[in-house]
Amino acid sequence: MRHQWAMVIDLDRCVGCHACAVACRAEWQVPVNHDHDGYAFIQDYEEWLKVVDPEGGGDYRRNWVLRLGPERTSQGELAFTFYPGLCNHCDDPVCVKVCPVDPEEREFVDFKTGKKVTLKVKATYKEPFYGAVLIDQERCIGCGNCVAACPYRARYINDTLEEPKADKCTFCYERLVHGEIPACVKTCIADARIFGDLADPQSEVSQLVRSGRARRLESDLVKIGPNVYFMGKEKNLELLFKHFAPRKRTWEEVEVKARTRRGILKVVLRKLA
Amino acid sequence: MKRRDFLKVSAGASLTLAGLKLRVGGFFRRAYAQTQKPPELPGSLGAKEIPSVCEMCFWRCPIVAKVKGGKVVKIEGNPKSPTNGRGGKARVCARGNSGVKLLYDPDRVLHPLKRVGQRGEGRWVKISWEEALDEVAENLKKVKEKYGPHAIAFFDHGASAKPLREVFKALGTENYSNEPAFFQCVGPVEAACINTLGYVASGTMQYTDMANARAILLVGSHLGENVHVSHVMDFVEGLSRGAKLVVVDPRFSVAAGKADLWLPIRPGTDTALLLSWINYVLEHGLYDREFVSRYCEGLETLKKAVKGWTLERAARLCDLPQDQIEQAIKLLAAARPHVCIHPGRHSAWYGKGDVYRHQALLILEALFGGIGTPGGLCFPTPISLGRVQAVKEAEVEESEEPLKGKYPFCDPFPGSPTHEIIKATLTGQPYPIKAWGICGANLLQTIPNPYQTMEAIRKLDFIFCFEIYPTENALWSDIILPDTVYLERYDDVYVYDSVPQCYVTVRQPAVKPLGEARSPFWLAKELAKRLGLKVFRTESEVEILNERLQGLGLSLEKLNQEGGLVVLPAKAAYDRENFRNVFGEKGLKVKLAIEDFEDEDFSPVPIFEPAPAPPEGYARLIYGRVPVHTFSRTMNNEWLHHEWPENQAWINDEVAAKLGLKDGEEIVLENQDGKRSFPVKVKVTPGIRPDCIYLSHGFGSRSSKLSRAYRKGASDQFLITHYVQDPFMGASSHRTNFVRIVKGGKVLNLPELRPLPPEIPRFKVSSARESRRATRRRKKARKSYPIEGC
Repeated sequence: MRHQWAMVIDLDRCVGCHACAVACRAEWQVPVNHDHDGYAFIQDYEEWLKVVDPEGGGDYRRNWVLRLGPERTSQGELAFTFYPGLCNHCDDPVCVKVCPVDPEEREFVDFKTGKKVTLKVKATYKEPFYGAVLIDQERCIGCGNCVAACPYRARYINDTLEEPKADKCTFCYERLVHGEIPACVKTCIADARIFGDLADPQSEVSQLVRSGRARRLESDLVKIGPNVYFMGKEKNLELLFKHFAPRKRTWEEVEVKARTRRGILKVVLRKLA
Repeated sequence: MKRRDFLKVSAGASLTLAGLKLRVGGFFRRAYAQTQKPPELPGSLGAKEIPSVCEMCFWRCPIVAKVKGGKVVKIEGNPKSPTNGRGGKARVCARGNSGVKLLYDPDRVLHPLKRVGQRGEGRWVKISWEEALDEVAENLKKVKEKYGPHAIAFFDHGASAKPLREVFKALGTENYSNEPAFFQCVGPVEAACINTLGYVASGTMQYTDMANARAILLVGSHLGENVHVSHVMDFVEGLSRGAKLVVVDPRFSVAAGKADLWLPIRPGTDTALLLSWINYVLEHGLYDREFVSRYCEGLETLKKAVKGWTLERAARLCDLPQDQIEQAIKLLAAARPHVCIHPGRHSAWYGKGDVYRHQALLILEALFGGIGTPGGLCFPTPISLGRVQAVKEAEVEESEEPLKGKYPFCDPFPGSPTHEIIKATLTGQPYPIKAWGICGANLLQTIPNPYQTMEAIRKLDFIFCFEIYPTENALWSDIILPDTVYLERYDDVYVYDSVPQCYVTVRQPAVKPLGEARSPFWLAKELAKRLGLKVFRTESEVEILNERLQGLGLSLEKLNQEGGLVVLPAKAAYDRENFRNVFGEKGLKVKLAIEDFEDEDFSPVPIFEPAPAPPEGYARLIYGRVPVHTFSRTMNNEWLHHEWPENQAWINDEVAAKLGLKDGEEIVLENQDGKRSFPVKVKVTPGIRPDCIYLSHGFGSRSSKLSRAYRKGASDQFLITHYVQDPFMGASSHRTNFVRIVKGGKVLNLPELRPLPPEIPRFKVSSARESRRATRRRKKARKSYPIEGC
C-alpha cells in the first residue's frame, strides 16, 4: 500500500478546548480576520461554505473547532460535541484539479529514505511520498480556485500578504521532516488526535480505520477520499455528520481553464516585475 | 545574481542545507533558496527554547517559550513535565498557546498612569515610575498615619501578587490578602476539606486521581469547559479506561455529553441529593466498612442525621427521576473504592449551605473508602523547598475587631473576606478602610455586586492597581502601575506534588519587559524602600529562587541544565499511615461529623438548607467557563477572541418556544434588582433546565480601553447583585440572582415549566416601585460613571 498520512480524531476524548486551532495559528503565523470572530458557533454546512471567500477576505485558518449542540439526536438523546477540522489530504483532491497553474517538472525527495522521484505538478499537488496535499507558495497565483473547490473549506486566501496566496494545513509536513509531530497533535490536551501512516499496519490510525470505528466525514454526494477520520459515540458522530458532512460538489462550479481576472492580472504583474 | 539563476545553481549543486538536516522536495528548496543566507526554519522550528511556567490561567502548566529574533513566537508544553509533557507530547490549552498575544497585545498598559478624570472614567496621563512610586508610598503612609494600618487593604490573585503582599504585611494591615480566588471561589470547599480530612484535597490544587478511577461524580464541575490541562488529561484518561461518569448539573455541559448519567438537578438542592445518597449507601451497606471503622469518626451521628433522607424525598426536591438517582448511586457504589467523588473547586454558590454541600461530597467519598486510594482522592507528597532568608516575613498584629472575626472557620486562611472589606469601606464599621491596592484581580468582574464595589471605591482616599491590561479595575484606580506578563519575569518556584509524578520548576523570563513594565519583585522592593520597610534583603530575584531550590539540592542553573524541570516521585499519594494533616497530626482521620462545627453552633453533619427559588417570571442565572478564556482576563486576546468573542445566553428550548425566541436572536437580561446586561445572543437548546439561564463568565467588558472585549456579550457579574455570605468563612455567593428577558424593549416573563415543591421558598423580588427606583438610580449613575454606560 502507498504511504498515506492520516489522522483520526476521537470525539469521545475531545473536550472542544480549541488548543489545536490556536497552536496551528501560532505555529504557522496564520493571520486573524476579525470579521469572522466567533466562527466556532457556526452550526450549518451552508453557512460554513460562506466562511471562506475565494476572492479573499474570508476567515483565515488551517485548523478549526466548531461546537455542536447540545441538541437532541434522532434517538432522542442529548449530544454536545465538536467538529475539529483541518485539511483532509484527500485521495482525490478536487482542489488540485482546479489549479490553473501550468504543470512544471519537479524533483521530490522522500525525507526518510532519500528516494527521489520526478513529477509534473501544478502550484498545488499531492506530494508523492506521504500523500500530503501541499501548495507551492512560489508558484501559487492566488486565484482562489482551490479555495472555492474544497467542499470542506479547508483552504483560504491569505490576502494579508503582498501577493495573496492560497494556504492550508500541510499536516505539518515541515515539522515532520524535522522529526517533530504536527502542532495540533502535540498540543492536544485530550490526546484526541491520532496521527500516522495508513500504510503501516501497526500504526494506530490504520488499526482504527481497519476496525471501522473511524469514519470519513463524507456523504453520498461528496466522496473524495478524506484522510481525516472521526470516531466516537454514535450520537456525537450523528451530530457531526448531520451538520457538517459535505453536501455540495463545490469543485464542479469552479471553471478550471478560465483564470479569474485577478489571477491573470497577478501573473502579468509578476512577469513585469 | 537573479533569483532564477540562483535556483539553477543551487539545484545543480544538490542542495543539502547542511546543519539543517533538510532533504526535502522542491517545495521547501524553493522557499529557502530565495533567501540566499542561511535559511530560517519554517514555523517555530529552530527557535530558542526557554522553560518556564504558564500564567494564562492559574494551573501553572510547565511550558517552553520559543523565541526567534528576540520575540516569543510560540509556546508549547515542557516535554519534560510528567503531566502535560507525557507521552512525547507538549500540551498547552488554547490560552497557553495564546500567551504570545497577551505579551504583544497593543492594548497593554506599558507606562505608569495617573488618573485625571473621575474615578471610573478612564482618563489618565503618563507619569514616571519615580512619581508613581512616590504617589503610592505617600498615600499609603498618609492613610496609615491617619487611620491606622488596617485602613489599608490589598486584593490579590496569582503569583505576581506575592512580593507585594509582603509589603502590605509589613505595613501592618490584617487585610493583606482578600483573595477573590478564595472568597469568591474555593473558600467553602477548602473549609470543608480541612475540617473533614485535615488537608485541602481540592482547592487551588486538586488531588483527584481521576485517571485511575472506575467511576467519577461531578456535581457542577464542568471539566472540559473548565480547562486545567493535567486535570482534564486525568479526567479523559479515566473515561477512556472505562470509568463510569455521573454528572449533576442543571446544564448539559461538555462533561455531561460524556456522561453515563446526566442528572439535571434543580439548582440549590444538591445537598438534598447527596444526603439521600449517603443514607442509601448506609442503609444498603454499600460503604467500605473496613475503611470507615479504621479511619472515620462520627458514623453514628451521621446515620442519625441522614435518616429520613429517602430517594423519593430527594427526587421531589431535586426535580429528578427517582430511578435515575438510584441508578447513579448504584453505579458509583459498584466502583468503590476506586471512585472519584470530585470535591469541586468554585464553591461559593449560595452562601448558606455551601460548606455542607462539600462536606457531604467528602463524606460520600469516605464511605466509599476513596481517600488515599488509587482512583479516589490522593494525598500531596511533601516536597521541602529551602527557607528564604532574603525576604523578611512580617508578623501581622490583628485589630481589636478583625474583619474575619464573624467567621469562625476563616482562620487558617490569610486575609479578610472580600465583602467585609467592601462593607467596612462603605460604612467605616468596625473601622474605616481608606486605601486599596489591587494586583491580578479585576474586582468589578469578579466580586458580586460590582455596583456596591464602585460605591465603596468612591469612598476611598486612594486606590492603585498593578495591571497588565486597562481593565475595569484600572479605570477606577488613581494610579496604574504596568505589570509584566509572565513571559517577562521570574516568579516563585513551582512545586507540583500530586499524581502521577511530582515536579519542581520555575517561571523565568523569555524576553525583556516591554515598555516600562516592571516585575512584581521590583515594584515591591521599590515600594518597600519608599515606605521605609525592611522586607527584602536582596536586589536579586534569582537569589530568592536559589534559596528555595537549595532545599532540593538544586539551583536555577542546575534546574535549567535539566530542561527547567526536575521530576520527583509521588511517593505519599496513597500512604494513609504516614499522612500528616495540616495540624501536624500523623495518620488519616476522617470526620464524618465535625465537633468543631458543633462548637460554633453549626450542625456537625451536613444539613439541607434550600436556596430560594426564582421569583415568578424569572429564571436563575447560572454561569460557568468556556475553555478558551480565563475569567475576564483573556477576552481581549486576539487569538482567543477570534475563537470566542462573546457569550450566548442559553435558554431552554421549550421556554424559548413559549416566548417566541429564536436561536441567535439578540436579547437583554434584566435581574431582580433591575440591572440590565449588554445585548447578548440567545442559544436555544434542550441542554438546560427551564428554570435557568446560563451565561459563560467574564464577557461584556465595560472597559472601553479593551478594544476587542469592550461590550462583547453580557457580563454575568454585573447581573450578580444579590449575595449571601457563607457563615463559616465569609465567601460570597454567586448563584443567588435571577433574570428575565428583555426583547425589543419589552420585558418577557418566563413560564414556570417545573412546579416548585412547597418546601422550597421563593426569592422575594422587591416591589415594582423599588424596581423603578433602581432604574432611576441606574440612569443617574450612568451619567456620572461612564463605566456603567450600558
